[in-house]
Amino acid sequence: MAKKVFGAIFGIAVLGGIYLFFHLLTNNKITIGYNKGYAPDQPIPYSHQLHAGQYKIDCKFCHVGAEVSRHASVPSLNICMNCHQNISTVGKPALVQLQKAYFDNKPVEWAKVHLLPDHVKFNHAAHVRKGKQCQECHGAIETMPVVSQHSSLSMGWCINCHRQPENNASVSCGTCHY
Amino acid sequence: MDNQFDSNQQSDQSFTSQPPKFWLSLEQWRGDPEFQKLAEQEFLSSPLKEGDDDSGWARREFLKLMGASLALTSFGCVRRPAQKIIPYVNRPEEIVPGLPNYYASSFVDGNIPYGIVVTTREGRPIKIEGNPSHPGNGQGLSARALAHVLAVYDPDRATQPQKKLFNEKKTNSETVSYSWEKMDKEIAEQLKKGNAALLTSSVLSPSLRAMIASFCQAYGIEHVIWDGMSVSANLAGQEKSYGKAEVPGYRFDRARVIVSVEGDFLGTYIHPTEFQKQFASGRKLDGEMNKLVVFESLLSLTGANADTRFRIRPSQKLTVVMGLAHELIVKKGMSRFASDGAVKAILEPYANAAKDLGVSATDWNDVVAALAGAKGKSLIVSGGISSMSSEALALQVAVNFLNSALDNEGSTIVSRGSYNGMKGSDASLIELTQKIHEGRIKSLVIWGVNPVYSAPDALRFSEALKKAEMVVYTGDRSDETGAFAGYLAPEGHSVENWGDLEATEGVFSIQQPTLRPLHNTRSFLDSMMAWMKVGGKAVSAENSYEYVRNFWKQNLFPKQREAGLSYLSFEDFWVYVLQNGVLDTAGNERNAIGGGRSFNSSALQLVKDAKISNAADLELVLYPTVGLMDGSLANVSWLQEFPDPVTKICWDNYLVISPLMAEKMKLREGQVAKVKASGNEIELPVHIQPGVAEGVVGLAIGFGRTGAGKVANGVGKRVLQLAKVEGNQFVFAGLPAEVTVTSNRIPLANTQGHHSMEGRQIIVEATLEQYKKRADANIHRHKMFSIWDEHKYTGHKWGMTVDLNLCNGCSACVIACQSENNIPTVGKKYVLQGREMHWIRIDRYYAGSPEAPDSLHQPVLCMHCDNAPCETVCPVIATMHSEEGTNDMIYNRCVGTRYCANNCPYKVRRFNWFDYTDMRAPLHMALNPEVTVRARGVMEKCTFCKHKIVAGKEKAKQEARPVKDGDIKTACQQACPTHAIVFGDLNDPQSEVAKLFKTQRAYDLLEELNNKPAVRYMSKVRNAKAIKSERGGHGTPGKDGHGASAEGGHHS
Repeated sequence: MAKKVFGAIFGIAVLGGIYLFFHLLTNNKITIGYNKGYAPDQPIPYSHQLHAGQYKIDCKFCHVGAEVSRHASVPSLNICMNCHQNISTVGKPALVQLQKAYFDNKPVEWAKVHLLPDHVKFNHAAHVRKGKQCQECHGAIETMPVVSQHSSLSMGWCINCHRQPENNASVSCGTCHY
Repeated sequence: MDNQFDSNQQSDQSFTSQPPKFWLSLEQWRGDPEFQKLAEQEFLSSPLKEGDDDSGWARREFLKLMGASLALTSFGCVRRPAQKIIPYVNRPEEIVPGLPNYYASSFVDGNIPYGIVVTTREGRPIKIEGNPSHPGNGQGLSARALAHVLAVYDPDRATQPQKKLFNEKKTNSETVSYSWEKMDKEIAEQLKKGNAALLTSSVLSPSLRAMIASFCQAYGIEHVIWDGMSVSANLAGQEKSYGKAEVPGYRFDRARVIVSVEGDFLGTYIHPTEFQKQFASGRKLDGEMNKLVVFESLLSLTGANADTRFRIRPSQKLTVVMGLAHELIVKKGMSRFASDGAVKAILEPYANAAKDLGVSATDWNDVVAALAGAKGKSLIVSGGISSMSSEALALQVAVNFLNSALDNEGSTIVSRGSYNGMKGSDASLIELTQKIHEGRIKSLVIWGVNPVYSAPDALRFSEALKKAEMVVYTGDRSDETGAFAGYLAPEGHSVENWGDLEATEGVFSIQQPTLRPLHNTRSFLDSMMAWMKVGGKAVSAENSYEYVRNFWKQNLFPKQREAGLSYLSFEDFWVYVLQNGVLDTAGNERNAIGGGRSFNSSALQLVKDAKISNAADLELVLYPTVGLMDGSLANVSWLQEFPDPVTKICWDNYLVISPLMAEKMKLREGQVAKVKASGNEIELPVHIQPGVAEGVVGLAIGFGRTGAGKVANGVGKRVLQLAKVEGNQFVFAGLPAEVTVTSNRIPLANTQGHHSMEGRQIIVEATLEQYKKRADANIHRHKMFSIWDEHKYTGHKWGMTVDLNLCNGCSACVIACQSENNIPTVGKKYVLQGREMHWIRIDRYYAGSPEAPDSLHQPVLCMHCDNAPCETVCPVIATMHSEEGTNDMIYNRCVGTRYCANNCPYKVRRFNWFDYTDMRAPLHMALNPEVTVRARGVMEKCTFCKHKIVAGKEKAKQEARPVKDGDIKTACQQACPTHAIVFGDLNDPQSEVAKLFKTQRAYDLLEELNNKPAVRYMSKVRNAKAIKSERGGHGTPGKDGHGASAEGGHHS
């Protein structure tokens, strides 16, 4: 008898576990695969739609590394302050937060959206030099109030482009893995 | 040369016949069954036997481990790792995340100066390279200079000022953190009382010298200089011979004949890196090749590179030098001294030197003839710890005398360009200790030296420290000397501080910080300024930066014309200095010939009076190793796992003894022996070292630290309790010793013998005569046909040449590679199992008899074969051939079958048995972000510095130009002081490597396998009458189909 009760409880627990897993999965609480569509909350609700879309600020104005370095780099606060030292913070708590961080010399901890594993080396400069538009990989970023991952960033996705003859790109493993 | 000593003549009988021509270890030479077993086994350890012989248990354990790691990975896939991006608040202008910055700077290793370039990543220094515009070391560096970047992140560094509270007897102490303010005040108070002394290492920084002068003047302090890597005898000898105590400049590049009498100038003496560079430039085969003759008792790195090598006892050094002098001056009538009756009388006792030394007349006369034929173009050198026997001063005088007689003064030895900063004197440390004991010195400030560890115990320095009222220690940790100091005023690493350097007279370089101090430390310059300010003394600057800058403005800016500069403002000049790093105001002077000093022949009286104790049956020699030297930097794990260039042993010191003596005493490798000398005894394992003189044993200093930190403490044994103090000098060599055998054994982590290549054409050497007749002498070429389709390389095809004639085995490349490629250290336990991770290794071969063999060095790295045997066996295609000829390792695809390592005939693949890279903070900050950190269970190997190739191509594209030859330099190539390694594009016919690839001296390693390596070796040429590999006792060259270098039928 005890055995049966134990079996039943165990069965329910397993079923419950499976339900919970799919529940979390479908609600994007956990993800498997390539994190496409991943759009975490940021400590300061920065909007690309406003800056890049409405005000048409060039991507490379803030992402200074894109043309010269492997990393496009998330801008340091002094770049924000180029403009924001002259912009009113009245009624804009996010901007108060930004200025406070700058004057307190406390860096903002942004959530990383596009994550490549450590064993992959991707170079922004090489792709920008070839004339790739940011949107080709990052999607219509100028329409995103919250940035989400547009492409799968899987190896197959990389290779797809590298294989195109007009791109004249290498598909040897050592191009990205070393 | 085999039979130069009477005692050696029975040599070969004790060993089995048919020895191999080239051999790695004595076991192999003898055909020891144990070596056979190891060679057949190929890999030293099976994973299934980890720490246990019961394979059943171990297998389960292994599977369990694998299971656990599988579970971990699959769990990792489900959860997205949430990572943060934390940008700067104010990004420094010069930093672009992802791009390295380079800063010209300087580094002093004890008393050895280097001009360096520090590579930083996002503000972290991660790599040290040589500064190509520095006239001293150039782009090359020593292993130690390369490794000292890791010391920045040493977790055992002192993090803040400390005060030690001693009890009455000064036996135990409690250490408390202290503030700089309180400490400065107390120190200044005590200094005002007078009777103070400042003990430092050689001060090579001109601005620090100036500061010390004003500090000493302000408080009436006596300044004493002493170095662990002593050139004390040289200085004293110079003073007696020429009137000025200054280490002169040596020009090995101008010398055609070099005779070293226990002077390890390629390994540890004065400035090995600069000397290696000079020596190699005289070794090039397009001109007249130099000849190196070495007389020594142990086998040093210099001896291993000798064309002709004689084994002598430490007590015979003076006989060698004076014997040669007798031949040249009395018999051949050379020089002005030939008509000097007094000189002749002093030389007379050495008329039969060759006989006394047991050197055959022919060999002796060859050396004499070579010297006689190279008047003004020869160089006699002697010195360093291993030469410091009781008659060290007389020896130096004798060497100076012989150099003067041969007209080398002003030609190969120049007083201009002297090492004017090297001032360490044993006599003054002995005097200082005496003064403290007598109470004449009551306060002591110490910087840059650790005498409690690195001076002989007989000095009783620690007892003196106990008597002093105040001891202030300025070091990077509370080490052996720091333990006796009331105040620890911690100094940061040199990449954290401002400073400068005068490497040799007139060659200035700047030391600029590349990192804000990680801890609450400050430079000695700052400390002295603080102590002066607090004590109410005038200081000319606010901080060390200002002080150094002012010093350059006042003293060096006016000298800019001598360096060929003409800046109008100091600001521009300063920018130039910071960018270039070097200000060479003595270029023309240094290279002029002439102006030799006149030898004061009355100094020869010292030689006449020298009393040599040769009564002892067994003489002990203490010597420094290339990796650890005097024991500073011992806590850098790279240097502990650095295979000694000669013995190839790491993580230990040992008693070095000759094979014959070991046999006589029934000593086996690793057996613990008791060594007794100077009334003390220690127990150490034995290493049987071919090439060591009979009647001599050697022990390495630099080990057995107790206050260095978690890596170094307890590694090996300290041996300086066996050294002596005689009058005003330390005696490290020629100490009468007794050795007794114990039954214990300590296995030695010897890296040679792992990765054996099974007797094929591996290393090729020829005599100069043979080379002149045929440039490809002794290279056996094979007629090959391929069953493979050849790779087609339409773009670049990367390749490398390694010139064995220039390589001296210094192993700087090993550390450069380790630093560049995030290579972990594994510890003694795993080196014993053959699991060291170095991507490049230097194989050391012996040729000839074990008593007096020739040595050869061969760097071996991944050959990047066109027909790579590893690529064909990987079941998951984790190792791939790229379109540019490199053999790439795809870590994330590797599942760890290790088939590739099995199939690699060069044994260059390394497997991560554990997560070796799981390192203590802040050590991880030394990692290079361009190179993937490999995880457990993954195979790795040399990538040809793939990340540097990518970066080089990227840079060229960015600048819209093709890649030029020399744009891309591998880490090993960059670090090589002798330019033995050349890397480049084989598809570019104008590249240096493409040209070298086609020279006749170039050969493929194991050509008969048709692997078509992208690395080619160039045979070694020995400037001797014969090479020992040809007299190996079996076969004529080529007889067995493998050329002169085959190890023969040993494995059949």
